[in-house]
Parts: sequence; structure tokens; C-alpha cells
Amino acid sequence: MQHDLTIFIVDDDPAVRDALGLLLGVRGYRTAMFASGEAFLQAWQSSWRGCLLIDIRMSGMDGLTLQRELLQRECLLPMIIMSGHGDVSSARAAFRANAIDFLEKPFDDGRLIAAIDEALEQARSHHSAQEQRERSVHLLSELTPREREVMQLVVTGRHNRDIGPELGISVRTVEVHKARLMAKLGVDNVADLVRISLLDREA
Amino acid sequence: MHKVRPTYLEFPVFIALYLLFDWATYVDPLYGLNITPWNPDPALGLVFWLRHGWRAAVPWLVALVAGELLVRGLPMGACMTLLSSLWLTLGYGLLGATLRRYFGDSGVFDNRDRLFRWVLIVVLGALLNDLGYISLLSVAGLIPAGQWGAAVLRFGIGDVVGVLVSMPLFWMLSSSSGRQRLIATVWRAETLGYLGLMVGVLFLVFGSIATSEFKHFYFLFLPLIWAAFRQGLYGTALLVFTLQACIGAMVKWNNAVDIAVPELQMLDAVLALVGFSIGIAVDELRKASNELKRTLRLAAAGEMAAALAHELNQPLTALGAYGKACELLLERGETGAVMKGAIQRMIAESGRAADVVRRLRDFFRTGAIKLEALEIGQIMADVTAQFLAPMQEHGVVLTVLPSAALMVQADRLQLELVLRNLLANALEAVLEQPPGARHITLSVSRIAGQRRAGWARHGCMQLTVEDSGNGISAAQAVRLFEPFVSSKASGLGLGLVLSRAMMEAHGGSLWAEVATHGIFRLALPLVRSDEAPVAALV
Repeated sequence: MQHDLTIFIVDDDPAVRDALGLLLGVRGYRTAMFASGEAFLQAWQSSWRGCLLIDIRMSGMDGLTLQRELLQRECLLPMIIMSGHGDVSSARAAFRANAIDFLEKPFDDGRLIAAIDEALEQARSHHSAQEQRERSVHLLSELTPREREVMQLVVTGRHNRDIGPELGISVRTVEVHKARLMAKLGVDNVADLVRISLLDREA
Repeated sequence: MHKVRPTYLEFPVFIALYLLFDWATYVDPLYGLNITPWNPDPALGLVFWLRHGWRAAVPWLVALVAGELLVRGLPMGACMTLLSSLWLTLGYGLLGATLRRYFGDSGVFDNRDRLFRWVLIVVLGALLNDLGYISLLSVAGLIPAGQWGAAVLRFGIGDVVGVLVSMPLFWMLSSSSGRQRLIATVWRAETLGYLGLMVGVLFLVFGSIATSEFKHFYFLFLPLIWAAFRQGLYGTALLVFTLQACIGAMVKWNNAVDIAVPELQMLDAVLALVGFSIGIAVDELRKASNELKRTLRLAAAGEMAAALAHELNQPLTALGAYGKACELLLERGETGAVMKGAIQRMIAESGRAADVVRRLRDFFRTGAIKLEALEIGQIMADVTAQFLAPMQEHGVVLTVLPSAALMVQADRLQLELVLRNLLANALEAVLEQPPGARHITLSVSRIAGQRRAGWARHGCMQLTVEDSGNGISAAQAVRLFEPFVSSKASGLGLGLVLSRAMMEAHGGSLWAEVATHGIFRLALPLVRSDEAPVAALV
């Protein structure tokens, strides 16, 4: 199924960890298990893809602290929080820190799978957005300085006949530059060009 | 169960008892009329009225007329006897109806308000009745001219004192729940103690009662206070009635007619009121303290339930996941080692869940504790292990001083709860200090020869949690163990209260010391040396 994505289970109860691992494993998910928040933080690498399943109450670092810590480290893995108590304040804290779902133990299989699928879906779209973005940044870097200047002016809404005099080139040359840069970036309308050019400004 | 007695038997019994009291207390009469210093018979009538309402009027009238006839031999003549008895029935009846309206059949006054109301109704009602009765007799010429005031005083005192002193006891005896409670309260050797003391004091103070010496009457407060403090209202009611009966008996048998019996009666009435007030205060206090204990026990059970619910969630979550995994494996026809392992682990998890449920049930059923011999060092190690991570995170230095192995009798779960509570408090206290000045020290010592019940032979274990926080001021120490007093924003402030209640249920104690740094001490009795392995006590 999702062979490129892993579910990272962080729970200090060995039985729960083992059971969730088995269940998700049987369903074809790839899992990795950690006995504490500290152990996960130590092992975590930014290249990991998938989602996190965190128990809120653990001896040592609790689930919410782990969640905050990961956000600080700019970890983009979507997180699902599990709780034995389900009190409102911790649920609120979890959702404010971008949790996908807040599952009250004991939960049923359906809800768990639904939450995991949602999380993985988000992970995947994060992932593809990330890739798209990287590709666009790469394409932008291939523009010549002149093409880049033309692009900056086009996206501010100027006409070719205004751009020519401003850059000291003919309107015809502007048209050639514009056609080539749009071909390089793989876009066929100005709207898409605007979207990509925003990445250029960020970079 | 309430036994249904036929009412038709109650009426003759009432009349007979009424006549008996009338005869027994027909002492020191004025002008040969029913004007005596002590009339407990109206008290009997009022209790009867409380039970039956206006239906009590006829038997009461019969009893009054019969009393005139049998005890006194109709000194007023038939017509006047009937008339005066009618008046008394009406007067007492109004008093009874008022009491019935305010008290219904809810039993004896059980708080200070009701006591006050009862006294007020009785005094006012009896005085009204008294004025009418004596005036009637004066008009008929049965009381010498000019003696009206003296007669009013004598009759009023007799009625008021008789009702105040006797009615509570009759009232208690009139209902089965009252009888049960009275017996449960006074059926013990101590009752003989204060009654004996009362009789002794009475004889020492008044001697043969030929002359009334009031100089040492205040010694009578001793048995009264004894009864009121130990047995509350019910003991007091018994004591004041017995005191009254003794006074009456002394006067009657010694035929001491020239002493100030009314003054003696007033004294007894005041004693009765003081006793009832103390008794009610004691009863109310006891009731409040029992309710608080119950509340605390419920709160403790709630804490336990919350702690156990989490423990129950884990095996249930695991069970659900294993079960679903097995179902999926079965659908695919994979019934190999993986499935077998999962099923074995399911069995283990259900055992774990059952154990949690058993502990919770035991706690609720007994409200209490499963004592086992525990090595305190082991418990400390288990609990401190849970605090290592947060302490490390905040730079807190935790020191556990080494000690000899000590075995205590305790409920593991509760002892752990208390220790966790103390450590959590200590952690919170040291966080107010800058990093580097955050220390928590745990130490255990053995205290021998405490001269307290149960501890003397085996000694006890004292566990001290010291922290480098700001400590407890004398003002805080006073309120520290009160419920709902908390320095924390969350929680009910029940932690220390519950901890102390739990330790006291173990026969131990928990207290804080006033110091410039935090010191909490916990004492628990050691396992008796004949029960514990000797090596563990070295």
C-alpha cells in the first residue's frame, strides 16, 4: 500500500505498542515503534516520511511536549494523539499544535484507520507539494537574468509594450523572452506564472 | 421494621402510664390540688398528641379526670373537676397542636434551631395554660385570696420543668427508630458510669435532702457534661430524666416537704437545657465529621478510579488492536505463529485488565486497603523512577539516602499514590528556585519506642521528603491539610488531605514541618517482627 510512508508509534506501554504495531502491520502499513518521546526525538531525521501516533500520557516526556518539541524542530509529520483521559484541555492543546485527530483510548479500529489514512494523505500532499516546490525552484534557477527581469514585470501586470521601453529592448524581443521563459517553466498562462514567481521571491 | 401495634391498646396504656406518673409525682402539693413542683405527665400527653393529634384529646381528658378521682379523691368536686380538666385538655391540646405543626412526626429536635423553638413553644404554651387554669380555680374559690401569684408560679414551674426534662426521653421512646438509636447510644458500661456519678453527687450534695443545700449543686454539671460529650442528646435526655426521678424519689421518700423543691426543679431544668445544647452541638459535630470522612473517602475513591481508569485503558486498547489483527489474519487464512502469539498476548492483557478491575472493586467494597508487607526502599525506587525524567529536564538533583531495609504494612497502590503526591509537590516547590539550587532529598529512618498505641512494640518507619523550596510557614502549616485549600490553579487541593487520610487509615500519619525549606514526614507502622523475615529488619 503506502510503501514510502511509515507510521511511527510512540507509547510507553509495551502491550499497546506491540498490539498497534501488529494491527497496522497486518493491514500493510509500515510501522516503527518507540518506547518514549525522548527515544523518538533522538532517532528522528527530517527525511522521514509518514505520520506519528503518540500517547499523551507517558512517563518521562509526555505526548504534548513531544508534539511541541517536534513542531519547534520543523518536523512536518502529521500527528495523531492518543489519550486515556480525553480531557478537553489536552485535546485543545493537541489540536492547536496541528494534531490530525485526538483518539480516546480504548478506540475502535475504524477510527484509528480513518485518522491514519487522513494523516498519510496529508503527509503525501505535503510531500508532493514539497516536491513540486523544489521542482519549480529548480526551474526558476535555470532562467537567464534577462528572462527573470521580464518575468518580474509580466507578473506585476505590465503589457509587453510597456516592458520593452523600460528594459530598453524592443517589444518583439520581450515577446521572445516571455515565450521562452514560459516554456522553461512549463506554464501556459500568466496565472501559473504568478504562482511560480512567488517562490522566486521567497528564495 | 416498624411493628404495627393496635391503637386501641395504646389508649389504655397511655391512661395507665399517665395515672402512674401523676401518682408518683404528686409531691408537695398546694392546697391538696394538682399543683406540684414537677409534672412529667403533660410531657407524656404531648408526645401522645404528637403521635395522634386531636384524637389524643379524649384519652387525655379521661386521664386527667381519673387522676383527680384516684390520686387526689376529687378535692374540687365533680363539676369543677370536669371543667378544669376540660380547660387543661384544651390548653395542653393547643400546645400539642403547635408542637405537632412545627415538629410533625420528624422526631426529636436535632439541631439548635429546633431545640430553641421547642423550648419557646413549651414555655409560652405552658404559661398560658397555667394562667387560665389557676384563674379558673381562683374564681371557683379553691385557691385562697392573694395566693394566685404563688399558685401560678408553682404550677407553671411544675409543668415547664416536667415537660422540658421528661419530654425528650418520652419522645425518643415513642418511635421505633428513636428507641433503636437510644439503645444503641446508651447501652454501654459508660452510661452506668455517669448515672452512678450523678446519683453519688446528688447524695453528697443534698444528703438526706431534709434541708436543701445548694452550695455544691454545680458538681451536678460533671455527670451532665460527661453524658453530653460522650453520648450527645440521647445520653443527656436519659441523664436529666434520671436526675429528676432521683430528686422526686428523695423528696417523696424522705417526705421533705419544707424544702425549696421548686428551686431544685428550676436547677434541674437549667441543667437539662445546658445538657441538651451541648448534646446537640456534639451530635452535629459528630455528624459533620462523619459526613466529611465519607466525602473524603468518596474523593479518595474518585482519585483511585481515575488512576485505575488509565491503567484499564491500556489493556483494553491492546486487546482491541490484537483482536482486530487476528480477525484480519483469519480472513486471509493466516493462522500461523503470528496469530498464536497475538492470542497469547490477548490472554495476558485480559488478565491485566481483570487485575485492575479487581483492585477497584476491592477499594469500593471495603473502602479500604489491601495490606501487604512492602519494602519501603523498593516502593521509593519505583516511584522515584517515574520522576527521573521531569527532574532531569528541570535540573533537579534527587538524592535518596541509603538506609536499612524496612518492611511496612501498606496498600501498595495507596502508598505509591501518597509518595507520588509528595514528590510532585516537592518538584513544584523547587521549580521556584533558580536552576542549581533545586534539591530533593528522600530519607528513611526507623523510630522505635513511640509511646503510641500499636507502635510501641514494633516501632515505625519515618520517611522524609525534603526540598530546597521556600518551605512551609506557620500560617500555611495550619491550613495545609484542610480540603479545598490549594496554592495550585488546578485541582481541588485534596492531594494532601487524601494522602493524610490514607496514611491515617494505615495507622500512620503525615505532617509538614515549619521550616525555611520544605519538610514533609510520613510515618507508618513497621511489620511486626514475628511476621516479617528477620533479615529484612536488620
